[in-house]
Amino acid sequence: MGIISLEKSNHLYWLARYSERAFTTIKTFMDAYDRMLDADPTAYQHVCAKLSIPDKYGSKEVFVVNYLFDESDPHSVISNLKCACDNAMVMRDLISSTSLSYVQLSLDTMIAAKHRDFCLLDLQEVLDNIYAFWGCVDDQVESSACRNILKFGRYLERLDLFIRLEYDRPAIIKAYDHMKYRLSRSNIAYSELDFNLFSGTLLKGEDLNAALWNLNNIYKD
Amino acid sequence: MQSLVKYTDNINKLLARFGVKFGIYKNNTFHEQLFPFDAIPRVITAEEFDSLEKGLIQRVNALNMFLYDIYHEKRIIKDKVIPEEFVFSSSGYLPQCMGIAPSRNIYSHISGIDLVQAKDKTWYILEDNLRIPSGASYPLIARKLCRIASPETYANNAIVDNRNYGTMLTKVMNHVNTGGISVILTPGRFNAAFFEHAYLAEQTHSVLAMPNDLYVENNQVYYRAMDKPQRVGVIYRRISDEYLDPLTFLPESVIGVPNLMNAYRAGNVAIMNAPGNGVADDKGLYYFVPAMVKYYLGEDSITNNAPTYLMFYDKDREYALANFDKLVFKDVSEAGGYGVVFGRDMDSKQKEEFKALIKKEARRFIAQEIIDFIDLPIMDNGQEVLRKADLRAFVLSGETTKVWPSGLTRFSRNPDSFIVNSSQGGGFKDTWVLSR
Repeated sequence: MGIISLEKSNHLYWLARYSERAFTTIKTFMDAYDRMLDADPTAYQHVCAKLSIPDKYGSKEVFVVNYLFDESDPHSVISNLKCACDNAMVMRDLISSTSLSYVQLSLDTMIAAKHRDFCLLDLQEVLDNIYAFWGCVDDQVESSACRNILKFGRYLERLDLFIRLEYDRPAIIKAYDHMKYRLSRSNIAYSELDFNLFSGTLLKGEDLNAALWNLNNIYKD
Repeated sequence: MQSLVKYTDNINKLLARFGVKFGIYKNNTFHEQLFPFDAIPRVITAEEFDSLEKGLIQRVNALNMFLYDIYHEKRIIKDKVIPEEFVFSSSGYLPQCMGIAPSRNIYSHISGIDLVQAKDKTWYILEDNLRIPSGASYPLIARKLCRIASPETYANNAIVDNRNYGTMLTKVMNHVNTGGISVILTPGRFNAAFFEHAYLAEQTHSVLAMPNDLYVENNQVYYRAMDKPQRVGVIYRRISDEYLDPLTFLPESVIGVPNLMNAYRAGNVAIMNAPGNGVADDKGLYYFVPAMVKYYLGEDSITNNAPTYLMFYDKDREYALANFDKLVFKDVSEAGGYGVVFGRDMDSKQKEEFKALIKKEARRFIAQEIIDFIDLPIMDNGQEVLRKADLRAFVLSGETTKVWPSGLTRFSRNPDSFIVNSSQGGGFKDTWVLSR
């Protein structure tokens, strides 16, 4: 039906953020893992530092297992997918069972992977399912308001992570443009002040890490 | 059918993918688990369904008339067809509902009637569930997935399509809608049947509402939509009566909508099923359903009750105490397979204690003959084995009363158990109604 309450907009926003967080951090993990194979065994430490995750892992072997599969660690990929799934479960009437199924499949794939020898191909399957989820959102979600909130959350999360992970400026600008476009169409309550402060910092080319606080305060739940 | 059965694991994987789960609390902790699906269906012939359908429609129509009567004139009591003790002492009887006429005078919009089939093929009604019967969503989604897994099964068998449940439910909701949006009200994510709430909202294009999403102003119910409040015309609530409105029922309820009953009483919103229905699905009142059919419709009951004895009546109680081992005893205030004890399973000390309890709290218990109901085949670790199973038929009352041509067949996975409830480890099957 597409009628959205404030509580539902909150679930949509966080569903999008957690999905995107899982997606981008898996890609980051895969890059770091690749470097750790034969180039830089400490690559995971740089990832932790950039994402402000305490390096409690001690070795790349522990990092590989725990960063992906430790359900008690709120930074782990599996924790992010569980949060995405929890938010998706209560949005079935808005996002459709089909869209929801791809979030569930992502989590199920991670849970299955946890119980067998680690294989990067499992992560590729998770990425495929998250891609499918977003494709499904475009195809199955009738309400444009719902899609706009989802995509606003997605690009805000992407922007946050791209800044932390020091992506190049064109990638950051692209994520920002997407976020701004969806915000303008989402009809959600937001902090104009924080949006303007963040935008000003970005456009002036100043240190965006200092403006992350503003970025994360744009959405008012 | 063999081609369908060989895909059982695939179908269960698809069910997992779509989040088809139910919740259960164990040691005060919420666990969500898959509802095991067995692909061998229960098959009901067209002729058998025709007879069941007539009986179920008759039964539910009589129950709806009973509910209207009890909350208005109480003719059935005045005419001494049912003793008033059985009505007014029922925990499901709500004096707060007295005199309220629900939209279109329908009380039980979705009735879940539990049946078993005896070995002589006779169907017996075990229970009428007129409050918030759950379970339709499971065979509904299972059928969709089975048709993907084994299309040839459906091409080669004349099976009535059951995928119209969402449409049937939508029609009922629209029929009683008083003007506004349709919502399905769930207590929340950690309810045992949350999957069903969300799935039916999707299937009926209704809004899935949490209690905080609704509020009442000037006796109108509104949904807190992001842009502007939306008036609500019908609520398919999945919250028990006592939690529905803290200003009318339990004041400590945090999942209710304050003043909802005022809006309902004013006729400004339809509530499905109507509050107060518990009086008619009380296990004690069940005994009187054939009498209700006769009283309101002037017809003999087509459906059969399981032979039942009311401990309230001296003669029945004496029979039950004398034939203790032959009977199953049910606490009328319990549900979900709880409060059910078999006389033969108790030791002598337990028997004496239970007999004393029956004498002390006679209204609380009924006794029934144990029906040796037919076992259905299920697949267990690759082997076909027989297990006890019941059937929940869904009867929808809107402009007319209709039986959904399917139902939830639940089975016990324990070879020694008659208890089929999902909360106690049971699984489910699809129910095929044949078109010829």
